[in-house]
Amino acid sequence: MAIPIIPSLLRESLAEMASTEERIDGRSRYEGRNLEIEVDCLANAEGSCRVRMGDTIVLAGVKFQLMTPYPDRPTEGGLMTSAEVRPVCGPNWEAGPPSEESIELGRVVDRGIRESGCINTTELCILPGEKAWQVIIDLFAISDDGNMFDAFALAAIAALRTATVPAERFDVGEDYRLPVKGTPIMCSYHKVGGRFVFDANKREELGGDERIHITLGDEGHVHSLQKGLRGVFTATEFDEIMDQAQSRCAELREIVHNLEESL
Amino acid sequence: MGYDNYQCMDANGIREDGRKADEMRPVEIVCGVIPVADGSARIKWGKNEAIAAVYGPMEAHPRKIQRQDRAILDVRYNMAPFSTTDRIRPGFNRRSREIGKVTRDALESVVDLELYPRSKIRVEIEIICAEAGTRCCGITAASVALADAGIPMSDMVVSVAAGKCNGIVLMDLNKPEDNYGEADLPMGILPMTDEIVFLQMDGDLSMEEFKQCWDYNVKAAHDVHAIMVEALRTRYGGDV
Amino acid sequence: MSEDSTPPEQASGAVRLVHPGERIGGHDGAEAGHGIRRIDGELVAMRMGTLQENGQTVSVEPLSSRYTPRAGDLVIGLVEGMTNNIWFMDIGASFNAILPMSLAPWKVEFGAVREHLGVGEAVLCRVQEVDETHSAVATMKGMGLRKLKSGMLETIPPHIIPAVIGKGGAMLQTLKDLGDCRIVVGQNGRVWLDGEQDGMREIRSALKLIRDTAHLPGLKERVDALAGE
Repeated sequence: MAIPIIPSLLRESLAEMASTEERIDGRSRYEGRNLEIEVDCLANAEGSCRVRMGDTIVLAGVKFQLMTPYPDRPTEGGLMTSAEVRPVCGPNWEAGPPSEESIELGRVVDRGIRESGCINTTELCILPGEKAWQVIIDLFAISDDGNMFDAFALAAIAALRTATVPAERFDVGEDYRLPVKGTPIMCSYHKVGGRFVFDANKREELGGDERIHITLGDEGHVHSLQKGLRGVFTATEFDEIMDQAQSRCAELREIVHNLEESL
Repeated sequence: MGYDNYQCMDANGIREDGRKADEMRPVEIVCGVIPVADGSARIKWGKNEAIAAVYGPMEAHPRKIQRQDRAILDVRYNMAPFSTTDRIRPGFNRRSREIGKVTRDALESVVDLELYPRSKIRVEIEIICAEAGTRCCGITAASVALADAGIPMSDMVVSVAAGKCNGIVLMDLNKPEDNYGEADLPMGILPMTDEIVFLQMDGDLSMEEFKQCWDYNVKAAHDVHAIMVEALRTRYGGDV
Repeated sequence: MSEDSTPPEQASGAVRLVHPGERIGGHDGAEAGHGIRRIDGELVAMRMGTLQENGQTVSVEPLSSRYTPRAGDLVIGLVEGMTNNIWFMDIGASFNAILPMSLAPWKVEFGAVREHLGVGEAVLCRVQEVDETHSAVATMKGMGLRKLKSGMLETIPPHIIPAVIGKGGAMLQTLKDLGDCRIVVGQNGRVWLDGEQDGMREIRSALKLIRDTAHLPGLKERVDALAGE
């Protein structure tokens, strides 16, 4: 990613706004942007989801491949997450090998899903020692207006939970719904103007400091955490956003469940 | 080529997707689908879905790629991993590179590059879902995205592919016709003059079949052009 | 600074939307203006926009455009980088402008450019000249030209500038009154606001309204309605 010029006036305006509890787009501190979410939108993927948060738009596609189980884990299949942030999604994303930013994006989303245990890799086994399913989540960015972490994580879990295992195409039985236990949800907080806010947009990211990503499971258990970029935070600040995450993750979880029911 | 048992047409002259030999797949175009881009378009063409984003004109970096007399077009074509039945591994792909290059050659033929010396115009084409004719979708979407971005052009390139399957010349090949057919002729046409800016061909066509494919492409291009214009007009307030 | 300019006429039915490649017939003796080219004797629209017929010239008012610098333009630039004696400025055009040490308002020592103006800082400057290869030189020597040390920047597409300024500067005055702020509209589409947070927020909402609906009739009424809230 090319380093964009950060207008120095931006940081100062954001700090001033923070002192009066304002955000650059008029939202309150923990308010998310307008959310649109749609599943089953990619004809050639076995599971798919499109998420739009404000002007950030991403796609997640779930595809299945056959794999040979690893010798030390003969009854397990695999789960892989790959994130592609291509130049299509913004003026500062460059062509070339994956940038550190896009690698971090993919890996943080992957950990949130993997560590929640929502995919049991032994359930992906077809024939022990010989054949198993590899589930691949491909995250694809279409428009980057900030907070792609949450958009990707939400799209990924919604796509997984509505995915169909293509057993017929691979001649190993009948198609069935992928078993996914639990709905891990990520909420990201960005320090802007000296305090953490939820769902930062691009300008806030540009003029802000560090960010924290929290993935919570169904019972409110913590499954993964990541702090990115330059900056320091206190235990008190962390407690406050963890509290926020508990309620917001629950709300988003319900949105995903409602989507599944409507299918 | 050559799955001898595929029948592209039934006894009534109807193709697998319900079309006659000289009919196109349904095409839908919407502009402005990528809010952060200077111009953008999404095209749904049969089961194909392609998006294109345009950024610029902007200063060309590094300096060594700048041209003193005109802008350069930096064009990328890519297929998303989930766009096809078998997943495509992300990364360098020769086919995509070649398509990016011929797309650039087509678009450079109409864009007024001399207006922006030393700058660069980025064109990003992404295939979200593929069903034969993706390079044509890409070029067409790119044309609309360039117009959406206000880039000056002498015309808009429309790209479409006719071909032959079971010895029958067909307009706008679909996937099995492309896979199992005997020839494929993608072209990029300028609808105001019927001039050609993009041309490729694979397979076996007699001169007469070739001419028929060419005519099919020109006709299809005019139909698609009307849809492109409509999409742009809708974006900018329609009939003012 | 703020020019006297009228937004393009949006009267009922009188405006023609053209697309790239569209042939413009019925103007045999006419001159090809901006956005129009004569190809094989025919007038051809080169961009998406509204057709303008001013006497003997036919041109296209673009609906989407990138700023093209002209000598004399007042612009708001962002410093992208520097060498020992020049700054490189992003002015939102298809190429950067350079600000040489000699055209800065301070006495700058060779190698000490950084002390006066750093990366990311915003300045109000004027385009001194643009040559055929589109090299642009900016100057800060002039009345009111300075580093912008406070306030905020907003961006509007250059073709919206006339709507933001209004007939005789009327819209600009409405905005100033709305937010009780200083406003400078750069010809490159960058707008500088300086005042209280509330006021700047009001003006930003108004700018968004103008940006989204300038092409529809009744703009003045809509902005006044916003002011009345």
